[in-house]
Amino acid sequence: MSKQRDRVLRFRVAKGYPGFALECEATFESGVTAVFGATGSGKTTLLNCIAGLTRPDEGSIELLGDTVYSSTARVNKPPEKRRLGYVFQDSALFPHMNVRDNITYGYKLTPVESPKADLDQLVELFVLSDLMDRGVRALSGGERQRVALARALAASPRMLLLDEPLASLDVSFRGAIIRYLKRVWRELHVPMVYVSHSISEVLALAEDVLVLGGGRAVMQGWPSQALVNPRVTAIADYATLENLLDAEVVAPANADGLVALEVGTVTLTAPDVSTEVGESLTVSVPAGDIILALEVPSRISAQNIVPGTVSEVHTLETRVLVYVDIGTEVVVEITRGALRDLEIREGLQLYLVIKSTSIVALEGPTG
Amino acid sequence: MSLALLELSLRVAVLATLLDLPIALAAGWFVVRSRLPGRFIVDVLISLPLAVPPVAIGFGLLLLLGRDGPIGAAVHGVLGADLVFTWVAAAIASAVVSFPLMARAAMVAMAGVDERLEMSARSLGAGPWRVALTITLPLAYRGILAGVLLGFVRALSEFGATITVAGNIEGKTQTLPLAIYSKVQLRDDAAAIELVAVSIVLAIATLAVHNWLLRRAERGN
Repeated sequence: MSKQRDRVLRFRVAKGYPGFALECEATFESGVTAVFGATGSGKTTLLNCIAGLTRPDEGSIELLGDTVYSSTARVNKPPEKRRLGYVFQDSALFPHMNVRDNITYGYKLTPVESPKADLDQLVELFVLSDLMDRGVRALSGGERQRVALARALAASPRMLLLDEPLASLDVSFRGAIIRYLKRVWRELHVPMVYVSHSISEVLALAEDVLVLGGGRAVMQGWPSQALVNPRVTAIADYATLENLLDAEVVAPANADGLVALEVGTVTLTAPDVSTEVGESLTVSVPAGDIILALEVPSRISAQNIVPGTVSEVHTLETRVLVYVDIGTEVVVEITRGALRDLEIREGLQLYLVIKSTSIVALEGPTG
Repeated sequence: MSLALLELSLRVAVLATLLDLPIALAAGWFVVRSRLPGRFIVDVLISLPLAVPPVAIGFGLLLLLGRDGPIGAAVHGVLGADLVFTWVAAAIASAVVSFPLMARAAMVAMAGVDERLEMSARSLGAGPWRVALTITLPLAYRGILAGVLLGFVRALSEFGATITVAGNIEGKTQTLPLAIYSKVQLRDDAAAIELVAVSIVLAIATLAVHNWLLRRAERGN
């Protein structure tokens, strides 16, 4: 995702409610930008202002050089003229239409001067061909969110706005949606604003994160920086810090019921997943479940011992986060004592020790 | 009882319903979905006919629709005919009295549509009218239709406002309730009971469909 990053969105918005005020200014570049914050931090209000669903009290919003809102120039384009794809947490599919009619709703309304989305490509990307004539009430959570993404993209939006698209999904569907979102950027080049209160999702998806607290911008920068910013750690929930990694099944279950997964450049053994050989999936590895070792441990029950290089070390209060490059970046949480004893520093070669049972597939049979 | 009486009663109630529907939808949408000022006032005005004596409504209409009233004068100027003491005046009176029932039902039905569906449609490129026609109305239609039937059955039983502004002219403005009143005045109990029975049958049939629609609407959402 190291594409040339162009400025996509620039805004300064102020919106007051009784007991709460949003006051925020930022510039988003192309790619995936996360907006991270606790419940009530103003994430959704900000998204609604950008989409035109809420009118700010004052400020300006500029999308690809097009002013869609400006209190001084008295511009306030209605949402249907902004061409932003808004995906709600609970999909908000039209219940009186089938999947096909949902997806073509915005497609048919694409202005003549705008490029039309490639519907066949979207149907293929989100694996929807078998669902097209189904009613939307009978769809699973993961299927609903796939249809919602395809529907938003079919209107050929200039940007996707995603309001916690994984929050109401079962664990078994989260991985697939994460993979689809990565592909949306890689293959369709639609920039995204991804609102989330999960720091793990932000780490897995975004290159840039705007952190909101109490309606104001706390910081903006790399997700790994955000993770150790003391003002961010005050609002982030690290109990659930996990690595969400792309994996591909390379060998079926052996006699012990373990499969081989390729993650980055290394192969890990993990409990059986309901995914065929050759298919990709997202796995979760909790940052606190990984052990660091300076040499290859012998006579140990853990099945995965992977060499890597320390790329970053961050210390915050009582905890330490170590980023290790194993062909893909993995975050490991250790104690200050371990940091001292092992003298862990940037550039150090070491081994990650991961129990097979700590590797959890985030996909069910119907993904 | 004569078929002409039944036909006139139904004609009055149907016209009243048709007059009400577009205004009920517009006013209901204004209160539950628009962000414009004045929603509170409109909300109160919608319910006003429920709280005012029907005879007062009839008197008000008499002032408005009479040849000296603003509407009556205009109609007389264009058509050369009076509105008051016609079946159309009876329909207007029924429309005003039954309006709150229909508008309130439409408001409940439209408020029951998940607003995020409408927001999604907007961001997909649909303007407010298209959203109303393709999202809000299709999802709210059962509740709205139930309101239409409730308004219809109320219009069918309207008495006070109707007799004030349309009189009780047999074959011209005499609807079922007015006919019952006349029969009672004449002490023709048998005829009155017959008309009451017809009224009850009509009411039960309409209310049954109304309740069935509401049940479907609840299950649909």
